[in-house]
Amino acid sequence: MTELYDIPKEVKAALEAKGIPYEKVDIAAKTDLDDGCVPCDNYIFVADGDIIILAGSMIGRLKRNGIFKQPKPVRHFTELSYTHYSLSDYEEFQVEELLSSARIVARRRADADSLPRTELIANLSNTYKNEAYKFVRKINALIKGENNESSGDNNEDKKDEKEELFCPKCGRRYADPERKICMRCMDKVHIIKRFSIFFARYKFQIGAIIFTMILTSALGILAPYISSGFYYDEVLDQNGRFYGKILLVIGIILATRIISILVSIVNGVISSRVAAKVTYDLKKEIFGAIERLSIGYFTNRQTGGLMTQVNNDANNIYWFFCDIVPYSIVNVFQIIGIIVIMLIMEPVLTLISLVTVPIAFFLIRKVFAILEKYHAKRYSQSRSLNSLLSDILTGIRVVKAFSKESEEAARFDVRNKSLAAANMKASVFNTTVFPFISMLIYISNMLVLGVGGWMVIDGKMSYGILLTFISYMNMVYNPIMFFVDIVYMLTDCLNSMNRLMDVMDAVPDVVESKNPTPLGEVRGEVEFDNVVFGYEKNRTVIDGISFKINPGEVIGIVGHTGAGKSTLANLLIRLYDVGSGSIKIDGVDVRDISFDDLRKNVAIVSQETYLFMGTIMDNIKYARPDATDEEVITASKIAGAHDFIIKLPDAYNTRIGFGYKDLSGGERQRISIARAILRNPRILIMDEATAAMDTQTERRIQAALDNLVKGRTTIMIAHRLSTLRNADYIIVIENGKMPEFGTHAELLAKKGIFYKLYKLQLEALRNIGIEE
Amino acid sequence: MSEEKKVTELGDVVSITYLTRDNCTFTKNGDFLSLTVTLPKEIGPDGEETGGTKTYDRVYFHRAFPYDHPYAFISVLDRESVEIGIIRDLSDIGPDAAELVKSELDRKYYAPVIDRIVSVKERFGYTYWHVISGGHELTFTVRDVYRSITKVTQTRIFISDEDGNRYEIPDTEALDRKSYRKIELYL
Repeated sequence: MTELYDIPKEVKAALEAKGIPYEKVDIAAKTDLDDGCVPCDNYIFVADGDIIILAGSMIGRLKRNGIFKQPKPVRHFTELSYTHYSLSDYEEFQVEELLSSARIVARRRADADSLPRTELIANLSNTYKNEAYKFVRKINALIKGENNESSGDNNEDKKDEKEELFCPKCGRRYADPERKICMRCMDKVHIIKRFSIFFARYKFQIGAIIFTMILTSALGILAPYISSGFYYDEVLDQNGRFYGKILLVIGIILATRIISILVSIVNGVISSRVAAKVTYDLKKEIFGAIERLSIGYFTNRQTGGLMTQVNNDANNIYWFFCDIVPYSIVNVFQIIGIIVIMLIMEPVLTLISLVTVPIAFFLIRKVFAILEKYHAKRYSQSRSLNSLLSDILTGIRVVKAFSKESEEAARFDVRNKSLAAANMKASVFNTTVFPFISMLIYISNMLVLGVGGWMVIDGKMSYGILLTFISYMNMVYNPIMFFVDIVYMLTDCLNSMNRLMDVMDAVPDVVESKNPTPLGEVRGEVEFDNVVFGYEKNRTVIDGISFKINPGEVIGIVGHTGAGKSTLANLLIRLYDVGSGSIKIDGVDVRDISFDDLRKNVAIVSQETYLFMGTIMDNIKYARPDATDEEVITASKIAGAHDFIIKLPDAYNTRIGFGYKDLSGGERQRISIARAILRNPRILIMDEATAAMDTQTERRIQAALDNLVKGRTTIMIAHRLSTLRNADYIIVIENGKMPEFGTHAELLAKKGIFYKLYKLQLEALRNIGIEE
Repeated sequence: MSEEKKVTELGDVVSITYLTRDNCTFTKNGDFLSLTVTLPKEIGPDGEETGGTKTYDRVYFHRAFPYDHPYAFISVLDRESVEIGIIRDLSDIGPDAAELVKSELDRKYYAPVIDRIVSVKERFGYTYWHVISGGHELTFTVRDVYRSITKVTQTRIFISDEDGNRYEIPDTEALDRKSYRKIELYL
């Protein structure tokens, strides 16, 4: 039995009440919308050749049996409808994806005289889409009579997968099913612990940082005492122990100041060193993790600015451990220290002076919350302004071509205005609110000054002590402000840590074999055996393709855009792994070949030609850094690149890339062909390699390539069928299947898809005056 | 090439098939719609004959301007996603057929409408939403909240959750103050 979802016992009971024992169920699944798209709980069972849909709603609530007992969920299933279909009436089930939802539909077996009919089985939201696809696959296999019991182990896997989709703590789905972490329930300590490893190796230095910080603040606490209270009472007062020794005391004050400066220099030096090292370590680790990831990770996520993000995040994390944590420790010490000193000096006055602290604390918190909102608004406004600006500047040619300058200026003006407004609001708030807060501090100053003044007059306290007291009182406010602010910094840091964990935890889909089979001398035989693949789960792009290329043969792959041609190439070089079936080189599964062996023997020239910053030489040599200059020239000649390179003022040493010489599409492509040729692989994949060239250049390169491909297994993916004339045979791909294959002549004789494509292209070429 | 140079109207270059009650009939077939369409016969440049009367057992509908014209400019597609024609306005195909097509469209473009926002909690870069829609409580998770909110107009927004579900707020200003405050920051 396949359970795609945990079926609650209440539902099982409801099913058994209909006379269907749960053991008889073959497939059990769940969807979440009823016929009118109202949220509900639909349970679908396939049992005994019947499809049973039990619609209703699971109502759960938490019941607490005692104040200190964990609440227990009490569930109840209310049945709303019960539908029953016969499986033999249907020929195929399908998932239809709509915009925000999907549905399972079934095609009725056709009667002779009426139109084929499609019926709705169940509605679901996208949340249940994956399960729906699994359900459809299972039920279709059942209809076709395929026995799914044979893959018993597989079912066990499926079951595990099902159970792990939900967070065991809060019952919500994992945001990312690949990463079994529930953001809602994840505790902060766990994340902080993980990143503290990076700092563990610098624990001595961090200890020193904290120590010096505490020293500085201790000296800071001492300073007001010496310079105000002590100076007034003991030095200037005739009864004082140090009466008249002004120079000595000034010397002490100066000395403490100098010590404090020295300590903070030491602190600064150590922390800058640790900062540089820790961020270096973090970035290294993360970049390593990014490079390990398979290409799928990058296509599934927005990776634009990934590295900028990583940089910012690494800095944020550094701040957390080297700034927030030490400062928190120091500030806690400072607050406690100051308050203790104040209490010792004058307990009553201390209580009076601290009256406003809680008020100030909550007020400042509130103000910061509002400020945060203003800042966020300002940030998003400036982001939108910047994106518009870069959009316009990138497309300036189009703007000018359609003479839209004034419209764009107007568009810019709108956003610029709203940014200015947001800026103004934030500033106005800033300038109006903060004086009030300092007023609060001022009020407590006045209170202390008043009460303290009475006490001095009454002779209960000396004027020096009052002065010291006031300076201490003002020192309490800074650390308090820090703790208000820390909340926001903390959230930022935790977000950063989480993002980095996301990168570091991502598991590469394509993993190199631990014990690879050595290839040795490669003959170049390639075999695709019933290959099935989809970029997304459940959506097949390649559906059961099999073919074999003998060593040295050239095969062509043709088909419409999006038919899956390039996918075949991606699978062969293992940018992705096959869903099922296998791809073999010389009889060895590509998954058993080391990355090194595989990439050494298979080279691809694709439609995307990326050239790195550097010289043309660097770029060609990228494939084989030990190649000689003669080899580079030979490779360029074959690729038809030599002629244009030699015309450039700096020839092979021309710098290309951002800010340097701009090459045309065709030139770039020829350089990338040269790069692949230099590698001298046994298996060459040309993925629309000559697509960006004019017909003449293409012909020339083609002639050179014809020489090159001799003795090499070559896969040519092409739009222009004429380039495939010399292929040993041609594979036609359509909708992930391989409806036709054979030699050029055979396919033409067949008058199928290939013939049609060929004729269309011939027609098109003739129309523009080129005869084949 | 012809000697006299005449500026061609865009409409002469490509002809669009508009479906009206005169050339098409929608009928309920199973739970979905079938279509019989009669078009003038034409012989294309490649010698293929198009037109005549054809019946499709199942047709699909797609809005050309889903936000601007939910019930006009509806593209009608066959099983292979090839466009059969366009319904310029639902009133062109007669009230009964319009009713059928309208319900298909409403189903396809169904997105829960958020009436009230109970809470939006941010945690580690994800936001957890708890909302009321049509009297039902819904909870969903949104990653990168700024990018997941699509503003169709100044006040109409769509929120896409982690699973690819969309939720609509037709008019953010019509929300109650408490709800509005919870999302104000993201707008």
